[in-house]
Amino acid sequence: MRRDKHIRWLIAPALLLLAAGTLYPIVYSGYLSLLQWNWGSEAKFVGLRNFIRILSGSGFPKALFNTFYFAIFAVVIETLLGLGLALAINRIRIGAGLVRTLMIMPLMVSGIAVSLIWKVMLDPTLGIINYLLSLVGIAGPAWLGTVPTAMPSIIMIDTWWQTAFTFIILSSALKSLPAEPFEAAKLEGATPFQSFRHVTLPMLKPVLITIIIFRTIDTLKVFDIIFGTTGGGPLRATESVQTLAYQTAFKSYKFGESAAIAVVFSLIILTLCIIYLVIDTDDGEKA
Amino acid sequence: MSTSASFRRRLWPYVVAVVAVAVSLFPIFWILTIALKSRMDAFAMPPVWFFSPVWENFGRAWSAQGFSGAFFNSLIVCAIGNVLALAAGIPAAYYLNKRHVPGRRTILILLLISYMLPEFLFIVPMYVLFQSIGLYDTVIGLALIYQVFTLPFTIWLLRAFFADIPEALAEAARLEGAGTLRIVWTIYVPIAAPGIAATVILNSIKMWNELTIALALTFEKAQTVTLAVAGFRGYASIDWGAMSAASIIIILPMALFAILAQRRIVQGLSLGAVK
Repeated sequence: MRRDKHIRWLIAPALLLLAAGTLYPIVYSGYLSLLQWNWGSEAKFVGLRNFIRILSGSGFPKALFNTFYFAIFAVVIETLLGLGLALAINRIRIGAGLVRTLMIMPLMVSGIAVSLIWKVMLDPTLGIINYLLSLVGIAGPAWLGTVPTAMPSIIMIDTWWQTAFTFIILSSALKSLPAEPFEAAKLEGATPFQSFRHVTLPMLKPVLITIIIFRTIDTLKVFDIIFGTTGGGPLRATESVQTLAYQTAFKSYKFGESAAIAVVFSLIILTLCIIYLVIDTDDGEKA
Repeated sequence: MSTSASFRRRLWPYVVAVVAVAVSLFPIFWILTIALKSRMDAFAMPPVWFFSPVWENFGRAWSAQGFSGAFFNSLIVCAIGNVLALAAGIPAAYYLNKRHVPGRRTILILLLISYMLPEFLFIVPMYVLFQSIGLYDTVIGLALIYQVFTLPFTIWLLRAFFADIPEALAEAARLEGAGTLRIVWTIYVPIAAPGIAATVILNSIKMWNELTIALALTFEKAQTVTLAVAGFRGYASIDWGAMSAASIIIILPMALFAILAQRRIVQGLSLGAVK
């Protein structure tokens, strides 16, 4: 058809930008990962040596472990908390709009400001948190300053920052659910918990899966709140893959090695996304 | 007895709401009080709750090396970034909204992949490219690279809004001899205006708050407001006042957005995730 020929031009600008911004970097990173190249010096082809080095060294496996430690806890806590809040706040008759407006405030705050806010609040001696804890007789820890407490602190900060995202989406999803299944459940004498378990939850499942995918991708890419608070310390206890890639590329200027980190990490995220999608479609076919 | 039980059942959601709002707002409120405290009050232990506010911290933050320049750089990056995202995204969303167009599936997968990729996969190649073509440390370069996340999001969201527009409207216009661009501009854009507003707001929030890419691809001239705020990190133990004031300055425009456009933000976020 003639008009199809014209319509093709509509996608051209977007394709051009995406090709330049996505395809080119994927290919170029793949190429870079095979080079030993410190920015400013001569590049040398080293085959898979960058990959062997990062996988057999201690830095990358440690960062990968930290990243998953962070992502798993953050995603689980934020999803459950967001679901609980959505269920509770959707029962509010007066002021629900105001509550939602105020609750999305943390989402508006940039990661770097989030970092500074919590650095001030979690300061071991002058921070408000340890002061409040001292009022109830608890000696607060050094939070971001010690190895065992640093990552839980980062998880707590992320929970404050991002739970509004899961809350808002689940809250909208709950509002859009049809009323009939709930009425049917009530007629059959279901308890509130049974109705939640067998009516609400199955209907929310597609949205829950979407939220979990979004939050998993975002938390695996964590950078801002670590860069802004601990910078990866103490003793690399909060070093994530992305902060490690930053250090490797822009502090040590090892571009080849940094590209290898990014390539391996991208493959891991890609695999995870495929697994999620396969689980999702499998269930869809069974239902 | 039974009335009090049902009263309690109706009350607890309000209790949850009050606690949730308090937890959400307290950190922002607390940093605001520190931004308004004198140096002595800021470091007082136990913390002081009542104090006479001072404005000097905001002056010190704003006049810090490069801060105001960075603030305006971020405004410009947001403006250019939004124009680019809409210029490329609106036609693309219209195209992908049609079912039987070539490459539809491939392009949709490409959009998902660019959202999924960790920043450092494209930061290093872009650093090399930008250095060689003169886009390193420029606001244009930054607005261009931000299309990696703004464009997929724009297309994704607008496609959902366009899907609700009846095909018959476009057919009628076509019978009257309107071309495709004209149909997009005079029918789809006005009807989807609330969706476009939601898209612009959410894209602005993302670009305004972006740190990772700006950190790697700017140095001085094109520094963004997030980097200017990050510059206060090292002062954590010295100057809480200016650091807190800087945080409030970067939060303020986005907080205003949230108050003025709460419904659009909620709509955009939910649609982005649900469709």
